[in-house]
Amino acid sequence: MAEGSEGAKTINLTVKTAKDKQILEIGEDASVKDLRELVSEKFSASLEQVCLIFAGKILKDGENLSQHNIKDGFTVHLVIKSSPSGSAQPNNRPASATSTTSAANSSSTSTPNTAANNQANAANPFAGMGGLGSLGLGGLGGLANMGMGNPNFQELQQRMQREMLNNPEMMRQIMDNPFVQQLMNNPEYMRAIITSNPQMQQLMERNPEISHMLNNPEMLRQTMELARNPAMLQELMRSHDRALSNLESIPGGYSALQRMYRDIQEPMLNAAQEQFGSNPFASLLGSNTAGNNSDAAQAGRENSDPLPNPWAPRTTTSTSTASSSTPTTSTTSTSQSTTTSSSTTTGNLGGGLPGMFQSPGMQSLMQQMMENPQLMSSMINAPYTQAMFQNLAANPELAQQIIGSNPLFAGNQVLQEQLRTMLPTFLNQLQNPEVQNFMNNPQALQAVAQIQNGLEQLRQTSPGQYHGLNMPLSYAFANLMSTMSQALTGGGSGNPEQQYASQLDQLSAMGFINREANLQALIATFGDVNAAVERLLSRLDPQS
Amino acid sequence: MCLFSSTELNKNPVEGFSAGLIDDNDIYRWEVLIIGPPDTLYEGGFFKAHLIFPREYPLRPPKMKFITDIWHPNIEKNGDVCISILHEPGDDKWGYEKASERWLPVHTVETILISVISMLADPNDESPANVDAAKEWREDYTNFKKKVARCVRRSQED
Repeated sequence: MAEGSEGAKTINLTVKTAKDKQILEIGEDASVKDLRELVSEKFSASLEQVCLIFAGKILKDGENLSQHNIKDGFTVHLVIKSSPSGSAQPNNRPASATSTTSAANSSSTSTPNTAANNQANAANPFAGMGGLGSLGLGGLGGLANMGMGNPNFQELQQRMQREMLNNPEMMRQIMDNPFVQQLMNNPEYMRAIITSNPQMQQLMERNPEISHMLNNPEMLRQTMELARNPAMLQELMRSHDRALSNLESIPGGYSALQRMYRDIQEPMLNAAQEQFGSNPFASLLGSNTAGNNSDAAQAGRENSDPLPNPWAPRTTTSTSTASSSTPTTSTTSTSQSTTTSSSTTTGNLGGGLPGMFQSPGMQSLMQQMMENPQLMSSMINAPYTQAMFQNLAANPELAQQIIGSNPLFAGNQVLQEQLRTMLPTFLNQLQNPEVQNFMNNPQALQAVAQIQNGLEQLRQTSPGQYHGLNMPLSYAFANLMSTMSQALTGGGSGNPEQQYASQLDQLSAMGFINREANLQALIATFGDVNAAVERLLSRLDPQS
Repeated sequence: MCLFSSTELNKNPVEGFSAGLIDDNDIYRWEVLIIGPPDTLYEGGFFKAHLIFPREYPLRPPKMKFITDIWHPNIEKNGDVCISILHEPGDDKWGYEKASERWLPVHTVETILISVISMLADPNDESPANVDAAKEWREDYTNFKKKVARCVRRSQED
């Protein structure tokens, strides 16, 4: 245990007796036994005399500090067990000694195991998350650097919080897991996890600005909160787009944006690409990145498309940023493959259907989906998939833009035309409930996979025939994708006032009379009354 | 300061007790460990108690109950704490207590526990909750001391 805590962060705890007070430094994942040993040394008391109390509980030897949520700056009460009133002492001493040792015995058998498990858990799911989560964070940080940290932006954030309505269940479950929450509440730990990722290290080395952001615990916390609620992220991304287009109309704004894109977005994407470099989806992601760089791609060639909205490509960028950061959702619950595959799917879907359809990456994704229902459902549940489709449905021009800017179609006017005519139908399919049922049926999925296999064979043996078949089969695939996006629509929880009705009552019972403020706080804290109260209090009294 | 700022309590705790939630999801149920105040009979003991807040808090007072056995004139044998500030607000029908001595919405976990700690140091035998203990305290102090010492010892064992 002692060696294990060497590498970890240390925290300062105030240990307080009725008369005395000392500040001790100890590893944050140290056990209670370690702390007791330290305390007995510092207060020159024998080990069995030391009794530590925190948050109304006596700390037992077998437990860890982190189990009790003991954090930096907290105070632990110490009682040195030796009553000076003589008569009790002789009886007292041996009795307490035996009781402590028995406690140690009973717990020591079980706790090392769980502690080890915890550590393993911590290392594993978050390794991926560190990298991915921070990508989203970087995007936000970039905007803040740009001077978006002004009241205007804060207002934006507040509106986003108001508008944030749907809370996907899975994400909440993961995030509500006490262990995960505990981790999240600990910025030090999160930072350690992030910086332990070599890609992130590189990124930080190359871009001191980004490393600065990662060192900001507030920023990390915000990201974690975003990760906790993908809907919020989605909203944030959308608001950013609006903010960006506003910014563009300011003189010099465009070049500032370009600079930001070059300094922040690209290194992030590069880092992400490097991270995915070793997996079969790399090529997919690559084409996605190329789509993002459409600014450059379009500059060099004649563009026959109307360009009603110069920010459309930018929108693509942010959608893909969303897709590369939101997989935090799935990483923690399912396998790593989920992360990469789901993010690539969304990214590439924006790019173009046939490309995705023909790529070996997609084939293996299909295979995986078939073999792993969990992966399937997590993809269906991915809110960004839905968000993207809604985006596309609401804005056909954007869709056309995407098609136009994708290098895959750049040289192929016919293909572009085909896609364009197909899009409205495709988008209509998204609304079709039958399609959704189809998606939830593993047999149907298997069938689709078989079609794909057959198609691939056909393509190899007889390319001519294949071209004729291409369109209708793309439809089948469009169906497939559409359900993924729609299955989640039921997840919305409706009116926050109804959703948090009981919490609102609690708050007003506590004497917080401003219902609007209460609601805001609850929305911001996802209905956590404790957090809401703290939030409300910090508003009232900036000191505490 | 508010009752529910438990992190605040964790950072700048008040002398003599430690308070936390029994269940992190339920802010109405608190667990407190009262450290026997120095230079009293209760010195060295750790007395575990639950503080249960009603939904109407802060309009109505919480109930406090010692889980650890404790022998004290103002604590019932089942552990219920009987101090005036925890009594329902309004005038006392017996005319014992003024409304200002009873529950007021300004009280918090801290103020309640400070009252309880001072009660441990200085029992009020005029309105006893544990009549036997009050009688002993008045008439047979040696025996009272012995019983309290036994409680203190037992409290250290668990």
